[in-house]
Amino acid sequence: MKKRSITLFINGEECNITVQAHHTLVHVLRNQLNMTDVKHCCGRGECGACTVLVDDDKAPGGRKAVDACMVLAAMMDGKRITTVGGLEEDGKLHPVQQAFIDEGAVQCGFCTGGMIMKSVSILEKNPKAKEDEIRSELEGNICRCTGYVKIVDAVKKAGSWSTKR
Amino acid sequence: MAEYSVVGHRIPKLDAREKVTGRGMYAGDLRMEGLLYGKIVRCWEYAHAKVKKIDFSDARKVPGVVKCVGSKDVTQRPYNTTIMKLLVPEVFADVFGEIADLNIFNPVVKHQGDAVCGIIAKTEEAAERAAEKVKVTYEPLPIVMTAAEAKRKDAPQFTPLKPGNLAADFPEAFFPGGAYGHNTPDGKTPAQHMKEADLVVEDTFYCPRQKQVQMENHTYIAKYDDRGRLTCWTSTQMPKPVQNLIAELFELPLTRVRIIQAPIGGAFGCRLGMIGEPHACALAMAVPGRPVKVEFLREEDWVASESRASGHIRVRAGFKKDGTPVAIDADYEVLKGGYYTHGSGPPFCTAAFMYGMYKWQAMAMRANIWFNNMVPYGAYQGYGNPENTFAVEQLVDRACNQLGLDPVEWRRKWHKGIGDDTWLKGVKFASCGLDDCIDKATKAIQWDKKKKEYAKMKGTKLRGLGLGVMQHTSGAWPMLLEYTNTIMRLNEDCTVEIMNSCSDLGTGGHTAVTQMAAEALGWPMDDVHLKCCDSDCNGFDIGAHASRTIYCVGRAVTQAATRLKQELINRAAKNLQVQPEDLAWGEDKEIYCTWDPAKHMNARRIAKESIYSFDDPATGKTIGIPGQIVVTGDDFVKHCSPPFSASCAEVEVDIETGEVKVLSFVNAHDIGKAIHPPSVEGQLEGGSQKGFGYVLTEDIYYDKNGLCLNNDFTDYKMLGPSDMPVDMKAILVESAPDPLGPFGAKSCGESALMGPIGSVANAIYDAIGIQINEAPITPERVLAAIRKNGGVKK
Amino acid sequence: MSNSRILPEFELLVPQSVSEAVDMAAQYGDKAAVLAGGTDLLIMLQKGSATSEYVIAMGEIEGLDYIKYGKADGLRIGALTTITRMVDNNTVKKNYPALWQACKQHSAPQIRNIATTLGNVMRASPSGDCSCALLALGAAVMLESKNGRREVPMDDFFINYGKTARKVDEIAVEIVIPPVQNGVVSSFMRMTRTNFDLSKVNVAVQLDLSGKTCNEARIAVGAVAPTTIRIKKAEALLKGVKINDALLEKIASVVSKEIKPIDDVRSTAEYRRDVSAVLVRRAIKACL
Repeated sequence: MKKRSITLFINGEECNITVQAHHTLVHVLRNQLNMTDVKHCCGRGECGACTVLVDDDKAPGGRKAVDACMVLAAMMDGKRITTVGGLEEDGKLHPVQQAFIDEGAVQCGFCTGGMIMKSVSILEKNPKAKEDEIRSELEGNICRCTGYVKIVDAVKKAGSWSTKR
Repeated sequence: MAEYSVVGHRIPKLDAREKVTGRGMYAGDLRMEGLLYGKIVRCWEYAHAKVKKIDFSDARKVPGVVKCVGSKDVTQRPYNTTIMKLLVPEVFADVFGEIADLNIFNPVVKHQGDAVCGIIAKTEEAAERAAEKVKVTYEPLPIVMTAAEAKRKDAPQFTPLKPGNLAADFPEAFFPGGAYGHNTPDGKTPAQHMKEADLVVEDTFYCPRQKQVQMENHTYIAKYDDRGRLTCWTSTQMPKPVQNLIAELFELPLTRVRIIQAPIGGAFGCRLGMIGEPHACALAMAVPGRPVKVEFLREEDWVASESRASGHIRVRAGFKKDGTPVAIDADYEVLKGGYYTHGSGPPFCTAAFMYGMYKWQAMAMRANIWFNNMVPYGAYQGYGNPENTFAVEQLVDRACNQLGLDPVEWRRKWHKGIGDDTWLKGVKFASCGLDDCIDKATKAIQWDKKKKEYAKMKGTKLRGLGLGVMQHTSGAWPMLLEYTNTIMRLNEDCTVEIMNSCSDLGTGGHTAVTQMAAEALGWPMDDVHLKCCDSDCNGFDIGAHASRTIYCVGRAVTQAATRLKQELINRAAKNLQVQPEDLAWGEDKEIYCTWDPAKHMNARRIAKESIYSFDDPATGKTIGIPGQIVVTGDDFVKHCSPPFSASCAEVEVDIETGEVKVLSFVNAHDIGKAIHPPSVEGQLEGGSQKGFGYVLTEDIYYDKNGLCLNNDFTDYKMLGPSDMPVDMKAILVESAPDPLGPFGAKSCGESALMGPIGSVANAIYDAIGIQINEAPITPERVLAAIRKNGGVKK
Repeated sequence: MSNSRILPEFELLVPQSVSEAVDMAAQYGDKAAVLAGGTDLLIMLQKGSATSEYVIAMGEIEGLDYIKYGKADGLRIGALTTITRMVDNNTVKKNYPALWQACKQHSAPQIRNIATTLGNVMRASPSGDCSCALLALGAAVMLESKNGRREVPMDDFFINYGKTARKVDEIAVEIVIPPVQNGVVSSFMRMTRTNFDLSKVNVAVQLDLSGKTCNEARIAVGAVAPTTIRIKKAEALLKGVKINDALLEKIASVVSKEIKPIDDVRSTAEYRRDVSAVLVRRAIKACL
């Protein structure tokens, strides 16, 4: 097939679309669905700017972080996908988003969406993740502004909030 | 120190929320009716070739293609990407030999990735598919990669404007002997002084072609509208100068060129001047009425947007037995890349920062800048200073080692300070917090204790400590023009709009500028809004470069705030029938008479009546003073208030594999006053990541044909989160506020990158007793050096 | 050189079972590429280093995501088992430390979340971390075609750079690793420019230390030849002897001589020669 009709559940909304077989998820999200909260940078699974969460029964938290440039949209049929634009609930920021603001972890902001999605997945896997684990799990998300210091601090802070609750 | 109500506070950055929600719209995120997609066809096969023929026949057949644009379809005017010519007096530009040698689409490819022609299509995919189908016939030309090759008599010539391929040097008219520096008052040159030195240390250092690697690919949208106006949405660092450059290139008056600043996804110098704006605009002009988007691919970034200068710098430094710095003498052979662009700018700054750091009795640096078939160098955080730092900081430690002196004490004793020349002759330091920085950095890393411990280390993993210091600049004056215009307009509800064209590169610049405005007004942050940047409504500003935003724009907004408050006082005085000097500011925008508290009025009323001013129906008298209050703040600061910093690094070297791990790192920075402390820390931490990259992992590599080997994240390696030292401290030293800086502030931006360079290199030297004079100091180089020396020298 | 981050067009085939996939492989032969995780294939297609009219995407086949361990059968890893799954698996961690280390150090988390262990082998890159560990562990790849299944030992699997023993009508369905025996230990080490990187050299070692001496050794080294290779001369030196520092030095020098590394953007031949020896020595020590 050159095209495939698929159903995606993006940020809780059902979305029935026909996608080109050779289009990656990031291409479809940005170019077909106008979801510009997902950034497109290297297109080769190196920088993590397009990181989204995709459901995975076996993953802790039921979802995993994926580079949207590294999967074919056509193979995502039936999947639940969360992007950074879908993290807020009733206008309230996700704790990781809030921690990024509080800790000054945002500079140019281009990596931020992907970085936040990765951070959410790290804490869903292990809310008590320590510095070393956070740092090695953040690999695959490149930031050129912050030196990662405040990003790591933000993940630690968000983790401490979730373990307190 | 004065307590401020907004300045110095850790408030959330103004743009943070839109960035954590993904709602911030970068240029690539903008959607417009009728948007077309432009693609620049680049030469990937050759680094040097003549374009013989371009065949669009197959490309035109791709469904969705709107237009194929050849080199003859766009302006033939040559240009220069930079703003250098604008920012120096005309006579200087001539003496320096500024040239315009670049075309939108080039008839001769001078580096891989050079633009050859363009495609416009209805979708990104169609544009890219068609670009693949353009058949370009090339005639390959001999490749020039090294300075030696560029100098050869039979070398291919890059431009008739620069015979012999010497793109630039330090012209005799300004630099006697072709050198930047100073002789002693008796006229003796550094070379002559060397004879009197007890010790001369000398070496050649290789400085790498580092890339900025901002995360957002270069992206532009341009539109040529029905009024004949050309609009470009761009993430440039310099909206106003780019407006000027575009106007000049397309021969339009400024009234017909509009630059709209999109949020910037990182810059670090790579968005200084123009990169893809000419191409986006040229394509847009080929399809009037339709917006055209041009987005670079990540792999285009390394080959088509400017890098840091690379080359070999030979430095000789002479010392007396007691450590007295006698003279320093340097020759820098620099590889320009295919086009002139920044010319002698970065190498000049290498010399300038060498001049500004230590009290050499005499100093000279010469530079020869050769065209070659690499990507042209341009601006990158640090602008020439990393090269100086890598060489000189290592030589200082080598000399101290040979003279039996403590490198910490040597620096304390011989660094320049208040009253000495800064990086430019005749401009004196007005503040200096370096001693404090050295104290705090060495203390934080436990210098004395660890130094003793590590001296005794044995085994295959050796540790070392290193110190590096630097001085930098706040703004580019007096090398370049320094000017900013700020318009401050009082709204009828007594809040203000500030219009200034200086971009925020993500550094927090706009947050800090807003803080300074609020502080100067004495009003809450919410009462101040900074509008940036639409060239249609903002005044002139040079843009975010040379770490000038806080310093220069900060001065201008505080000046505007002062003027605005004075105008309010003047109006209150008229209203209350007292003298302005009789009035003072109270709480909550209240203005009162100091000798009669009964006489008072609120600025809100003045603001409201400045617009809603009516004649009293009963008396016929005009209520209030009509006329909206609009003031400007202009700043032509005649200084550059350099900041200093001291950095300490602790490394572990695996002497069997040559691997270097940075265990801890401290950067103590002489900031004067941190306006927005989290942003200053963010600059120091982020600058460190690039500094570590410079000294440990980053360089652009080319094969023998001049083709780039690592134009992707797979092979251009930067330190990731798990590579960075966990133990990292950014110390903000505020003990030396600068008399010229707003609230005492000096810059912190570019200066952050130098910290790791000297300190890490010196820590490696401390660990293994061998200096590595080529950056990046890769494991391959470390191991080869250990081999060459027959083992470590501890 | 790529001029696009949009993949070239292809016909997507989405088999729902292995037998369907096998039929497709038989039908389309070398016109088809097999996509499991896709993290290598998508990049190769994008760069033009692979072209394919058809892509057989395995993602919807049920029952290929498994890690099974049996005392008799050993470890069996399904074709769709991601590298993350391996990292999260305690059996792998406990019984096959070399493979677990290779998976853990391999690439970034979101790549590990979709890339498969078997895919790393099928890529046949000489720097493949999983490939290196699996070669040392004496693993085999199970291939299935219309004619049935065949098991190809890793020793015979890599033909050349990017080329494996898989025939075009075959689909790789499983990795098989022999069961662990008492006293058999393994380790993996790699050298990279930064932590998230392709290996410039990787080394995996498996030693049978069940007796007083080393009964058997397997040493695999990657990124030093067109394929991941074993250093059989070094293995022979270890067999039946007690391991001491002098022997390790000797082994190290054999390793340097046996490999044929090249200069490339990641490292130099000379460095790889030096450091392979160091890594082999360290990997052996890590087993002791």
